[in-house]
Amino acid sequence: MGKLKLTNLSKTYTNNVKALDSISIEISSGMFGLLGPNGAGKSTLMRTIATLQQPDSGSIEFNGLDPLSNPKEFRKSLGYLPQEFGVYPRISAQQLLDHLAVLKGVSSKKERKELVDYLLHKVNLYDKRNKSVKGFSGGMKQRVGIAQALIGNPKLLIVDEPTAGLDPGERNRFYDLISSIGEEVIVILSTHIVDDVRELCTDMAIMNHGKIVYNGTPQEGIASLKGRVFEKQINRNELEEYHANFQVISNRLIGGKPVIHVEGEKPDSSFKAIEPSLEDVFFSKLQNQS
Amino acid sequence: MVYLFFFIVFLIVFAATSSDNVSIGGAVGNVNRNSPHVITTFTSVMTIFGLLFAAAFFNNAALRDRKYEFQEILFTTPIDKFGYFFGRFFAAIFLSSIPLLAVFAGVSLGSFIAPIVGWVEPDRFGAFSMQSFIANYFLFIIPNMAIAGSIIFFLAQQFRSTIVSFVGALLIIVAYSVSGQFLSDLDNETLGALTDTFGIRTYSVVSKYYTPLEKNTLIPSFSGLLIWNRLIWLGVATILTIVAYLNFSFSDKKITRFTKESANESSDKKSFNRPEVTHIQDSTINQFRSFFLINFKSIYKHVTFRILFLFSIILLLSDLISGYEYFGLQSYPLTYKLTDSIQGTTIFLIIILVFFSGELIWRDRDFRINEVVDSTPHSTLIPLFAKTLSLFSLTVLIHLFFVVLAISYQLINGFYQIELGTYFWHFIYNAFPLYLAACSLLVAIQVIFNHKYIGYLISVIIILGLDIIFLIMDIQSNMLFFTGKPFLLYSDMNGFGPSLTGVFWFNVYWISLSLFVLILSGLFWARGSVSSLIDRLRINRQKVTKSYFALVLLSGVIWFGIAANVYYNTQILNPYMSVDESEQMALDYEKTYVSYKGMNHFKLIKADYGIDIFPSDKRAEVRADMLLINPNDEPLDTLLLNVTREWKGELNIPNLKLVKEDTKHRVQFHVFDPPFMPGDTLKAVFKNTFESNGFSNNGESTSIIDNGSFFNNFAVLPDIGYSEGKEISSKNKRKKFGLPPKDRMPELKEDCGDDCLSNYLTQGYSDYIDVETVISTSNDQIAIAPGSLIEEWTEDGRNYYKYKVDYPSQNFYSFMSADYQVATRDWNGVSIEIYYDEKHSVNIERMLNAVERSLDYYTKNFGPYTHKQCRIIEFPRFSTFAQAFPGSMPYSEAFGFVINLEDEEKNNVIDAVIAHEMAHQWWAHQLVGANMQGGTMLSESFSEYSSLMTMKSIADNPMDMREFLRYDHDRYLSGRSGELEKELPLYKVENQSYIHYGKGSVILYALQDYIGEDKVNLAMREFLEEHKYKTPYPTSLDFLSYLEPKVPDSLNYLIDDWFKEITLYDNRLIEAIASPLENGKYEITFEIEARKVKADSLGAETVAQLNEWVDVGVFADEDEKILMHQKRILLTSEKTTYRMEVDSLPVKAAIDPRHILIDRIYSDNIRKVKLK
Repeated sequence: MGKLKLTNLSKTYTNNVKALDSISIEISSGMFGLLGPNGAGKSTLMRTIATLQQPDSGSIEFNGLDPLSNPKEFRKSLGYLPQEFGVYPRISAQQLLDHLAVLKGVSSKKERKELVDYLLHKVNLYDKRNKSVKGFSGGMKQRVGIAQALIGNPKLLIVDEPTAGLDPGERNRFYDLISSIGEEVIVILSTHIVDDVRELCTDMAIMNHGKIVYNGTPQEGIASLKGRVFEKQINRNELEEYHANFQVISNRLIGGKPVIHVEGEKPDSSFKAIEPSLEDVFFSKLQNQS
Repeated sequence: MVYLFFFIVFLIVFAATSSDNVSIGGAVGNVNRNSPHVITTFTSVMTIFGLLFAAAFFNNAALRDRKYEFQEILFTTPIDKFGYFFGRFFAAIFLSSIPLLAVFAGVSLGSFIAPIVGWVEPDRFGAFSMQSFIANYFLFIIPNMAIAGSIIFFLAQQFRSTIVSFVGALLIIVAYSVSGQFLSDLDNETLGALTDTFGIRTYSVVSKYYTPLEKNTLIPSFSGLLIWNRLIWLGVATILTIVAYLNFSFSDKKITRFTKESANESSDKKSFNRPEVTHIQDSTINQFRSFFLINFKSIYKHVTFRILFLFSIILLLSDLISGYEYFGLQSYPLTYKLTDSIQGTTIFLIIILVFFSGELIWRDRDFRINEVVDSTPHSTLIPLFAKTLSLFSLTVLIHLFFVVLAISYQLINGFYQIELGTYFWHFIYNAFPLYLAACSLLVAIQVIFNHKYIGYLISVIIILGLDIIFLIMDIQSNMLFFTGKPFLLYSDMNGFGPSLTGVFWFNVYWISLSLFVLILSGLFWARGSVSSLIDRLRINRQKVTKSYFALVLLSGVIWFGIAANVYYNTQILNPYMSVDESEQMALDYEKTYVSYKGMNHFKLIKADYGIDIFPSDKRAEVRADMLLINPNDEPLDTLLLNVTREWKGELNIPNLKLVKEDTKHRVQFHVFDPPFMPGDTLKAVFKNTFESNGFSNNGESTSIIDNGSFFNNFAVLPDIGYSEGKEISSKNKRKKFGLPPKDRMPELKEDCGDDCLSNYLTQGYSDYIDVETVISTSNDQIAIAPGSLIEEWTEDGRNYYKYKVDYPSQNFYSFMSADYQVATRDWNGVSIEIYYDEKHSVNIERMLNAVERSLDYYTKNFGPYTHKQCRIIEFPRFSTFAQAFPGSMPYSEAFGFVINLEDEEKNNVIDAVIAHEMAHQWWAHQLVGANMQGGTMLSESFSEYSSLMTMKSIADNPMDMREFLRYDHDRYLSGRSGELEKELPLYKVENQSYIHYGKGSVILYALQDYIGEDKVNLAMREFLEEHKYKTPYPTSLDFLSYLEPKVPDSLNYLIDDWFKEITLYDNRLIEAIASPLENGKYEITFEIEARKVKADSLGAETVAQLNEWVDVGVFADEDEKILMHQKRILLTSEKTTYRMEVDSLPVKAAIDPRHILIDRIYSDNIRKVKLK
């Protein structure tokens, strides 16, 4: 059972943005979802765990290892798919994966070939292994990205916003792949898409303004809001008034008219009680923080 | 950006205007610093820099809307294509022309401020010339920006790529340098002028014969070659722009993706078991290799790399195809010539290295794969070294490719003496260290500065900028110039030469320094997302391993040790002076010792030399037993002796005591006690040793070397008296330091008396003397000294030779030693000997013939040859000249021995040089001019004339000589254009080579054509008979007194016009019309325009009364080889119509068809004949 423990991680950028604000969290094997709006500090956290960035303070421990002081050893257990995964021009998928496999320490040429072939099959790119990756579509590139992250039996897999720009079919195939990875591995999936987390993750955290505002399972989150979320369709010009009087956690348009979700006791009969979704949990946690 | 460019241009031009240390397009010289000529040179040269502005602005104009992804918004607005396209285009022309206006600002402000602050004398500036600014703006700035801009705009528009458009700018520069190759031969001059993209060389061809006066006044005009060049290139620009316009479209072309996602991709759902990876371990070697290969591929597949590589090949090929020319002849493709050509492509390799150092370091980040790569468990130093090595390997492969090209070229030309060793060692000494050091240093710069473009800027500053900065700061140590080292020149005779040791040490110095910096830069490697220098250092320092630390320390210590050795050798053991220091030294010397100028001194009347040369030790020991006389009317008591650093002399004269020594200026004062009485003689011994220790900053002396030692008696003998040669000679520098103007030569005097007791060769320190030499060298070499070989023996494993001069001669000798082959031929009891290197046997027969031909002509026309031998002795190509000493002529291996003469039937420049040097055996060694104006006419002009006459003696077509004369005409006319002080008439020539070689030979040749060969030769013969081996020495006036009686009255004006004044002809043929006559013949009507002008010393011309005999003639062929008929006619007015009857219809007609008169524009003397 793998375990990643972050303690009091903080990072402030030179422009005074507090990207990480005393983050403490424990993650164990399985899929871990990290939700947060854009600019919440998710990527900073991912990069920090991936030893690509130094925190100003705090510590990390992974299976008894300190990645900050011994990054080399830690990197042997790491698979990382960054938010923006680019590729070299004029180089084929096979060559790219082979190169990265060498860097990850797969030193036997034969084993490397088998592994790369296996991964290419697995991500369904074997037929295109000799094509330049540069010409691949976003989904294909992302699959190359996951293939490289899986090289060398990682114990910790970090995937940062992997489905941005993918169509629904590509997205599903991508998640199929991720979820098929062994249960012994910690997978940290950073995303701002609530459904992704709901569908895949056993554990999750919500992050905003550099802080963890929620940490638990999706189910617990939903359960904590049970019976406390109500919905009402209102007129557009009433929106401000409702915001002032109720704790509106979200609003969206349905048929051109705003539908608001309110958290708390049922205000009046014009509101309809609903089953809370993970999205409500997400908005609720963000609201409560600010 | 405009302001920044403007400021840079302004600074450069301002500096060039107000300081002698900075020059643009050559030294300013004698003309005003703000003259139209200087402004035009500055402007046209600066437009090369303008290319950079053009590239920036035009690229921006073409691509900015796309770059900022604004095009979709902009192109949907209702703007019309024409307005958009040309609006951008002309705005870019205007913008890029602005920084070049700084040339005008720089010149104006420079000429205003410099005289006030006192940097430059006010009289170095002329009147402000607004017209030349305007002319330059429309002749150079606007056209050049439009031409370069249209090419760049076109490329940017077509390829939508910034890099391709910058490569386009580079392409223009290459085209410019290729067109420059045409100028190496007079025949291709017009072609070179027309193909020059910038018009720079066009202007220099146009202004080639400008006199200083014309340079100060003539504003470049919209005419002639210049306007043609501009029209041609503007035409090209217009076509490109029209094509770009037609191809331009607002709608985006679809960029096709070559891989389309196939629909059935997910069908293949084979299930695999994950293969077992048995061991995960970071294998440094594997990682290194993988990094290396992937980076190596990325460079050679890169478009920019391919373009640059292609251009370097084109550059090399154009160098090869134009061949190794020398006055219209080709040199054999010797391996060292080819390595020189390969060396010429270095600049491209450096550009490749600069560009790809940034590209490689930024590649991962540019393609956003850095986070993946960085998070893998490899050691940071691995990619650093792998990337450096991949860059370096490419340079090695390119070099290898060039070598293969070079060898193929040799083979194609049927030249089979391919020296693989020379290719190899050239690579090891010149290419390998440069590329290794450059790769390491440039990569390190990119790593440390962690900003691609700042890295590029720093790289360019280190490679180019430091040169300029150090020039201004007067720093010359090669330890500071990027990959600085002494110049290494390969010679067939002497291999890489004496500077090799120094080059080796400088090479290891630079390699160790750059590796040290590269290793150190590992501390700054940016892994993950860190940016500031301190952050990187802080983070990386935590991870420093012991072995890395040891590596840094080790490389640092190695570098330091080498640096200490280089420093010791180049600064302490062999110190050198910077320009400022040596100027100061010269100034101090002159101020301190000028009072000793003209001090009485003794004369040498006999010398016996004992010389031991130790080639492998690069050492020579000389002992000179001299017999001295006091030729003055008063006793001699003080003696001033100059010593040099390399020759450590010791003068031993009875009664002579050293009283004072100035070690700084290397001056010794000795006193005679008792004094040296008038008419007395003294025996003196002078011992001198040549020795070199270690190595020096700028390379070693080439006098005593492994094979091909060559030095003359001036290097060996004591240098007595105040030495005018040590003074500052530049006219402007002297003015700046407040020194009085210096006469180049004493003035010509009619009754010169005592002034004629010294000649310009030995300056009064000796006359015609007897010389004996015992010279020894190593047992594999032959040593040569002047005179007949009396005795030859071996002693202690060394070769000894005793030589004795057969006839007392000028004390002007050379001593040589090398492993020679000897070819001999007997000519009427004179032994003709050629000493040559075994590799250079191909032209020896021809050289023997040339010597024989000279001996024939000269003994018949001038008088007997006075020596028993006549030697041509080869010396290494450290210098390219031939020189005449009594009975012997050292001749550089760089020409003569290596020129391909197989297709040269008769006359060629190699024979001409031999004939010239042979003529010196009469003109310089039997008779030499007094040390005053006109002296060199009697040796150099006479020898050059004699040489022309030997060629004429075997020429069977009178037109052949025109080819040879053309070089002399050109030498004179372009020489006078570059005169730094003043032009003088021939009889007062002050050792000005363009006058005594160029003009002197043309005039004497023309004279023999006008009054007859026999008459000119007779005058020379009588003159020689009267003065040979006699003092006082004759002057040019003495010669004219022999010549004048030989000239018929009708041609008497020629003496004044040609010898005593500066006369130029401006003849042209307006028209030549042929009318058929009834008898089947033709009458040719010449419409002639003729002017004769006299010029003053600065080139101001006045028209003179015309009363001239000039040839007119007709050619039967297009090539002007067959002169059908010619006639000398008298021209008395500017316009003349002349009729001539000829048997058949000629093709061309000409005034002065054989080109014997000095005419600045000869091409208008010839016209096609029109049939009426």
